[in-house]
Amino acid sequence: MKRKNLWIHLILFSGLALVILPMVYMVSTSLKPNGALYEYPPRFLPSLSEITVENYKYILGQGKFYINFLNSIFVAFVSVLITAMVSSALGYVMARFEFPGKGFLFSFIVLTMIIPGLTLIIPQYELAVKLRAINSLVGLIPFYVAWTIPYSTFMIKGFVENVPRELDEATYMDGGSVFTVFARVILPLAKPGIASVSIFNFLTSWEEFPWANTVINDNLKRTLPIAISGFFGQHQFTQWGYVFALSVFSLAPILLVFLFCQRFFVEGLTSGSVKG
Amino acid sequence: MRISTKSKWQIALLLLPGLLIFGTFTLYPIIKLFYMSFFEWDFKNALGQSFIGMGNYREVAGDVYFRTAFVNTILYTLITVPGQMVIGFLIALLISQVTKFKVGYRVLYYLPVVTSWVIASLVFKYVFNTEGLLNYFLVNIAHVAGKNVRWLDTRWGGLAVAMLLGIWKGIGWNMVVFLAALQTVSQDLYEAAEVDGAGPVRKLFAVTLPGIRGTILFALVMLTIGGFNVFTSVKMITGGEPAHRTDVVLTWMYYKAFSAGKFGYSAALSFLITLALAVLAVIQFRLMQKKDR
Repeated sequence: MKRKNLWIHLILFSGLALVILPMVYMVSTSLKPNGALYEYPPRFLPSLSEITVENYKYILGQGKFYINFLNSIFVAFVSVLITAMVSSALGYVMARFEFPGKGFLFSFIVLTMIIPGLTLIIPQYELAVKLRAINSLVGLIPFYVAWTIPYSTFMIKGFVENVPRELDEATYMDGGSVFTVFARVILPLAKPGIASVSIFNFLTSWEEFPWANTVINDNLKRTLPIAISGFFGQHQFTQWGYVFALSVFSLAPILLVFLFCQRFFVEGLTSGSVKG
Repeated sequence: MRISTKSKWQIALLLLPGLLIFGTFTLYPIIKLFYMSFFEWDFKNALGQSFIGMGNYREVAGDVYFRTAFVNTILYTLITVPGQMVIGFLIALLISQVTKFKVGYRVLYYLPVVTSWVIASLVFKYVFNTEGLLNYFLVNIAHVAGKNVRWLDTRWGGLAVAMLLGIWKGIGWNMVVFLAALQTVSQDLYEAAEVDGAGPVRKLFAVTLPGIRGTILFALVMLTIGGFNVFTSVKMITGGEPAHRTDVVLTWMYYKAFSAGKFGYSAALSFLITLALAVLAVIQFRLMQKKDR
């Protein structure tokens, strides 16, 4: 028995080494001097005397990257907040009340999850032009909210259904309204579920690339993924050290959130998948 | 329960903001996409767009570049979906057997999932570059290749790197989903199988896999959609090069619209992709329901 476990750990550990390898290489490259196009011979780890923080110094010395960072934070936070509010309201109504066309409406919202987000980019671009949302940071937000509504509503509806209806009825007995039930019963009790959905939504807008890359041109309005991809094409050769230093800089908050909230991640993922 | 007028108003007010945003930024674009696909859409033309009927659809159907991109997307899906499911499942199976480091494994195997597509693509581009680390390893250390392999300059090389990235990034998601599913399989069934003299392989096929059937189909549907969604990795790693031979449907669609200015063509193409996925999803959902009975 002990022997068998040892083998399993050995396999899992080797697999893990392979999976983590690219991430380690990214960090190691960001700590190497940023000299030639490609170092030769390429090395997985820098030698101890070679290790330098010059790439980080460069990145942190450039004001624009702080702005890119704040842009990402702003867009992600506001989008997540709005999605959490409107999807909780949708999920609550869908879980608790009957009204004509409800079944169709809910199926339709859920079905749009099938559509690859990018296939709508042309009419959305047309809409953004009309609404003057091109090259506007605030203009990104409604699009991100609209993308995350279907999944969030679907999940939150499930969480609301787990809240016992007796609590609703007790609140109505006390003279409470539909709003009171939403604010005093549903929101507090579905909070862990809403939090796990929100972490996913945060990740979605934090890393979103194609849409922001299409509508944002201004250096100072870029979010981090666009700033990272901006290292390509503008110089004659790519400064990989800078690329990966900025990547580490943009990955760090996500990893922190992930390490501290990994239970929420797992819940947000699995509560929809195992029922079937 | 009778709903009072006041309650009806409050319900409507709760629905309103979400439906307004969804209607404006998702529903309206869906309808507009269909509409635009019949026009030779040009953003610079202020006077109005010229209606060309099925012209864009005919152009898509006869386009060799689209055909290549379509084949590439199908291949990408056919290889990455089973690839990440099998590996993710096996890792979940192994993790479920051990008692120590369970959480540690789960967290670390999940890391690639939370890494953004842009960053992951750049790391892969760097590793697989002709002068990069992998070639150095293959040629100068392992001596399995005579000269540097031009991974990113050929159709199959470029696609292989994109597929490898897709699998690498997807393993963690599958692991978590299957790990949760494995916990729902009843221990009694395993014990019963053991009493009947079933070995580990027999138990896997007779107890485990049928027990998590629902999750397998769920993952299949989600990942197929994900496969058709592939965009950022291909755009960052090869950019469709050489000569659009590594393009997938979405990168080709994007190129035609935002680089070639053929918005009508891309609208028609997008509509066809959406339709194809909807049909595929309905078939997969049907299969799921049939199997559940």
